[in-house]
Amino acid sequence: MIDTVHLGLALAIIGPILGSLVVGLTIVLGDSYPKESLATRVVGAGLALSIIGGLLVLASLWGLWGAPVQGDVEFGDWLRIGDYVIPLVLLVDALSVTIALFAAVLTSLVVRFSRTYLHKEPGFVRFFGLLGVFATGTQLVAFSGALELFFAGWEMIGIASALFIGYFHERDEPIRSSIRAFSTYRFADAGLLIATVTTFELLGSARFSALFTANTLPAVESTVLALMFLLSAMGKSAQLPFSSWLPRAMEGPTPSSALFYGAVSIHAGLFLLLRVWPIFAVSPVARAAGVAVGLATAIYAASAARVHSDAKGALAHATLTQVGLILAEICMGWTTLALTHLVCHAMLRLGQFLKAPNTLHETHRVGHHAYGPSWLERVSPHLAARVYAASLHRLRLDDRIDAAFAPILALAKGLDSTDRWLRRVVSLDRPAS
Amino acid sequence: MGGDTLQSAPWETFVVCVLLLVAPAVASPRHTRPWWVVALVVTLGTALFTADGRLAYVAVAAGAVLHAWNAAPRSVTGAAVLSISAALSVAVAAAIGQGALTVAFVISCLAIALRSGLLPAHVGAASLCERVPLVQTEQLSSMIALVFVHLRFVDHHEGAAALGPWLVAYGAGAAIVAALLTIVQRDLRGFYRGTTSMHAGMLLAALGTASLGNFGAALLVAVSMGLALGGLGMMITSLEERVGAVGFAGPGGRGVTFPRLAVLFAFFGAAGVGMPGTSSFVADDLLLHTLWMASPTATVTVILSSALVAVATLITISKVFLGRATPSLAPDLGIRERLVAVALVVLLVTLGVVPGILLYPADAFLSGVPGG
Repeated sequence: MIDTVHLGLALAIIGPILGSLVVGLTIVLGDSYPKESLATRVVGAGLALSIIGGLLVLASLWGLWGAPVQGDVEFGDWLRIGDYVIPLVLLVDALSVTIALFAAVLTSLVVRFSRTYLHKEPGFVRFFGLLGVFATGTQLVAFSGALELFFAGWEMIGIASALFIGYFHERDEPIRSSIRAFSTYRFADAGLLIATVTTFELLGSARFSALFTANTLPAVESTVLALMFLLSAMGKSAQLPFSSWLPRAMEGPTPSSALFYGAVSIHAGLFLLLRVWPIFAVSPVARAAGVAVGLATAIYAASAARVHSDAKGALAHATLTQVGLILAEICMGWTTLALTHLVCHAMLRLGQFLKAPNTLHETHRVGHHAYGPSWLERVSPHLAARVYAASLHRLRLDDRIDAAFAPILALAKGLDSTDRWLRRVVSLDRPAS
Repeated sequence: MGGDTLQSAPWETFVVCVLLLVAPAVASPRHTRPWWVVALVVTLGTALFTADGRLAYVAVAAGAVLHAWNAAPRSVTGAAVLSISAALSVAVAAAIGQGALTVAFVISCLAIALRSGLLPAHVGAASLCERVPLVQTEQLSSMIALVFVHLRFVDHHEGAAALGPWLVAYGAGAAIVAALLTIVQRDLRGFYRGTTSMHAGMLLAALGTASLGNFGAALLVAVSMGLALGGLGMMITSLEERVGAVGFAGPGGRGVTFPRLAVLFAFFGAAGVGMPGTSSFVADDLLLHTLWMASPTATVTVILSSALVAVATLITISKVFLGRATPSLAPDLGIRERLVAVALVVLLVTLGVVPGILLYPADAFLSGVPGG
């Protein structure tokens, strides 16, 4: 007999991906490409199941049917071999239910919006298929009770995000932006993977509940662990020095920009930090680093937002400003304030992003407002000009990252030349004509 | 663990190997002779089910010779390397007969390195990837059998345990070098070659951890590698049959013309770099945990290798399938190609969702007394 909380959790996570699977199988096995109506209905139904599941979990948390359920909910083991276990454990608490329901409802709103907005776009079906993958990723991230499951959801969000950025793939720029965003994700994700493995080795389990024993760890180990988590959060939430992918991500369609970079995905890194807070609580160095990164990002993004000439780019930097502040709040220990800030900010930005295509019309209607010189211009015109230039060029972050990776690419090309020479010398084949 | 459960490990491995072997034959029947497939199935069955290590290695050698025969018309290098691998397998059988298990272990590792494309012994596999990717796909089935035989017969002694950390370090190093090579490739076959070599590095590292007692993990890594790379090889073959050799400098946009091919290529590519929901995700996770016990540095190296190949995979997908549509009169994947691809997808997903069906019996079976 399946109880309410198990059923709710299963529906919340599996519902959206079922929609995507049906769409994917229809593409691969069907005789013709699926119609728009099929994609919207199937993915919409999957999301409806997810919301129903989330509500069932909420009811269980509140104890509407029997005793309140809170804490780890076991689904058995995904894998158990020797001492190593990947538990299929989901975590039900106020934080997980809030984030899961919030994400599912926002995704459903975006589905409704996109039905009209993307009508007759060539990638319509692809868009909806990916939305299902994204929704399952967010539910997994929200409900997972162990780092391995969390990482699975985290990766699904990353893959969907990269593919959404490259949605308009007929142009070169979206593809380049997609690759840059995905590269940043993957390298920052290395931090999460290392943290997952390390947590298991140090604490004997990668469950979030195991992190409550983090105060038994030596200071160096807990600090390294917390810094690894911080690294992955910085990548996902576009904090300095990984901020340059966010304005590039605006190449994607407006609904996905709204959902990912206004509402849900951009806050995923912050959710991770809230989830692993016990390890931060015992690591002042990591907390200080988080505050510094968050405030630096907020200042940088606020400056960049003020000089941006396109609506989505300015919104992206405005989002980043608030995300930086939330990161600082979390690392200062104000977790309840941070969660409230996160939810309110996500709702505001979703609306603003979805309205972004109307900005030109609104500007014409309302008219331009002439601004006088800023306080900085009055104090030091020279400094103001320098800040303006730096903000306009976004601190040349892309160039700096490219310069940092240039030696690695040069090494790779050298290795490739050596490899080709080696294979030419050893090969018994005649060169291909 | 009951005896029936234990005995299911060879059967499950056999099913995976046969599927990988038969998939290209079903998808493109004109490339394959039925007797050749039957002969290979016999060698696979013998290698996986016999309790005699010598016979198992001789069967693996026979399989390698059959693959070499198939490869010879288009890749002399590939055929030569497969033949050397066959000779090495026979040498392992002889060493087992003499009771020289450490020698057998080392030679067996060399045979696996040649078959899987480990740097710098990758010349044969690289030639197969570049000239006949379909043969490379087929020979992956026998390579999984070779790994199974290796884990079963020559990996249970102190010599293997002593060499384990060296294999881990070398495998991780080879993986990162191969990953760096992959990211600067300029054509589809170069990408396939590079990603194959990266997986070979990971496989060697997994074999190193197996020597320290993690047998099931190593087999799962081999199986996931075989399925993901096998699927990729089939998709590359299907695409090149339609449009010829694919370079990254030319026009892309084939996703519009061949949407099914694009979806399946992306799936197998992502499965190769540990996409959640596929067996590669579990295999990678398990590998990282077992690697950590041997060497944290190797663990970080393997994580970075996988990240680099993931980026290379996205670059490849974007160069080949995204961009302004390239018109083509060739049709998208046919029903046979789609069915075998879906079979591989189902297997990858099934082993990703319930990895225990292979992992538990395999670990129990392979951890037992050699040949017992």
